[in-house]
Amino acid sequence: MSAKLSVATLAIALAFAGPAVAQQNIENLKQMKLSGVDVSLPPVPQTGKNADAIRENLKRIKLPPGFKIDLYAVVPDARHMAVAPSTNMLFVGTRKNTVWAVTNRNSGDMATEVKPFAPSAQFHVPNGVCWTKDGFLIVVEHNRVLNFPAAEFFYEGGDVAVIEVVPQGKLIPVEEESYNHHARTCRIGPDGMLYITLGQPFNVPPREKLALFNKVGIGGIVRMNAFDGSKREVYATGIRNSVGMDFNPKDKTLWFTDNQTDGMGDDIPAGEVNRATAPGQFFGYPYICGKTRITEFGYDKDPLPANTVAPQVLMDAHAADLGMVFYTGKQFPAKYQGGFFSAQHGSWNRTKPIGARVMFTSLKADGTADKTEVFAEGWLDDATGTYRGRPVDVAVMKDGSLLVSDDFAGALYRITYQP
Amino acid sequence: MRSLSVWVAAVLTAAAAHPPSTAWAQDAKAGARKALACQACHGLDGIARLPDAPNLAGQPAVYLERALRTYRSGERRNEVMSIAAQSLTDDDVRDLAAYFAAIQIEVKALPK
Repeated sequence: MSAKLSVATLAIALAFAGPAVAQQNIENLKQMKLSGVDVSLPPVPQTGKNADAIRENLKRIKLPPGFKIDLYAVVPDARHMAVAPSTNMLFVGTRKNTVWAVTNRNSGDMATEVKPFAPSAQFHVPNGVCWTKDGFLIVVEHNRVLNFPAAEFFYEGGDVAVIEVVPQGKLIPVEEESYNHHARTCRIGPDGMLYITLGQPFNVPPREKLALFNKVGIGGIVRMNAFDGSKREVYATGIRNSVGMDFNPKDKTLWFTDNQTDGMGDDIPAGEVNRATAPGQFFGYPYICGKTRITEFGYDKDPLPANTVAPQVLMDAHAADLGMVFYTGKQFPAKYQGGFFSAQHGSWNRTKPIGARVMFTSLKADGTADKTEVFAEGWLDDATGTYRGRPVDVAVMKDGSLLVSDDFAGALYRITYQP
Repeated sequence: MRSLSVWVAAVLTAAAAHPPSTAWAQDAKAGARKALACQACHGLDGIARLPDAPNLAGQPAVYLERALRTYRSGERRNEVMSIAAQSLTDDDVRDLAAYFAAIQIEVKALPK
């Protein structure tokens, strides 16, 4: 492609950047052609006033003895994370239009470069990112799923090869698209299938929506082939809005967080962490949330379905438990190994705000939850009630350190342990 | 990140620029405290922290009051705002609108 032509294409792409252009870009990328979109976007500055202010905030974070937290990267709107299997980089989703590629070129304490990934794909709420066992990056958007082969090696080129797992508008019915609870998360299961959390868009879903939602897997978790979207089935139902899940590598059960109903008071219902041990389980929503029966639309007058699976962990009401990860590293003390970390975004409608913490839950020998404790806190200023940050997701790095993403400050933090 | 006190000061400065409205400045000051309930989505500075929430900084008070009242009455619906507005008194509505309206903003650049 001549320089002149590509400039013209770019101008057209920018002028008419709509769904049709996005689809043409995807068609080009699927055939390993150039999209013609300017992919040489500037990196996010990693030094200066903003980075210094974030570091200053981190001085207030409380951790157990021996642990330390540092700024790892400035990443605007940072949401869920996927640490690359081979190279020293990770991808970070957002609820806007960008997936960030975060690279650490010198193996130092901080990332050295943060740049948009595959801008020509024109992402829409690309919140969910995860890896297949063979190093294919999955990006789950509001209503599309893409798969990028060997993304950790090809991302530097700008335009990257792509496989369309679920085309635009086919993850959920377009009529059910909503700007509430529309951030997806994903994981690849031990069966190699792609698992996706699908939040239902209401605070409490009206009765007439339940049949459709259960059929599609809205307010649930679906699974499908990670390359062509085939064999799609609803894996779990009865969930309000899960924004985080992980498989326990030990017994292969699927654990996930669920966000609680609003408007019932400051201290109910409790937030949930659940454990799915088989396909087809029902987790109680909208009949029950935590231990609280839901009164809206009279769901509390219905008998609680007999097959309801109770939560493993009850969290503080409104703390908004989002991303979670089993600790598979060796750097942290033995008590953390085999348990999981989970991030609390923090409340938006509680009289006294609560949350903005990282929690740790240990497991019993039988694989069920044991104790849950606060691991990291201090992003919420207790005196004034103001937020300095809101944790979204947690991820384990190859050296056993723990990454925490924050979409309020726009940053990734790294927690390390030295006895 | 600026502290709440800086923002309160900013509001009072902004209010001082409109001399006749001493009462309004008091509303804005009360609103600053109540706006803690809005910060997670709209930011204490009125600049949205979430992509699905609008910026409120500098929004005219008459618009904000109407929005909150119609969310409260059910005339306007949003899964988050319908709940958030439910418990607001008329004083709360006035104070919050005064607070966000008093935040001064500046447009830096228009798309070329």
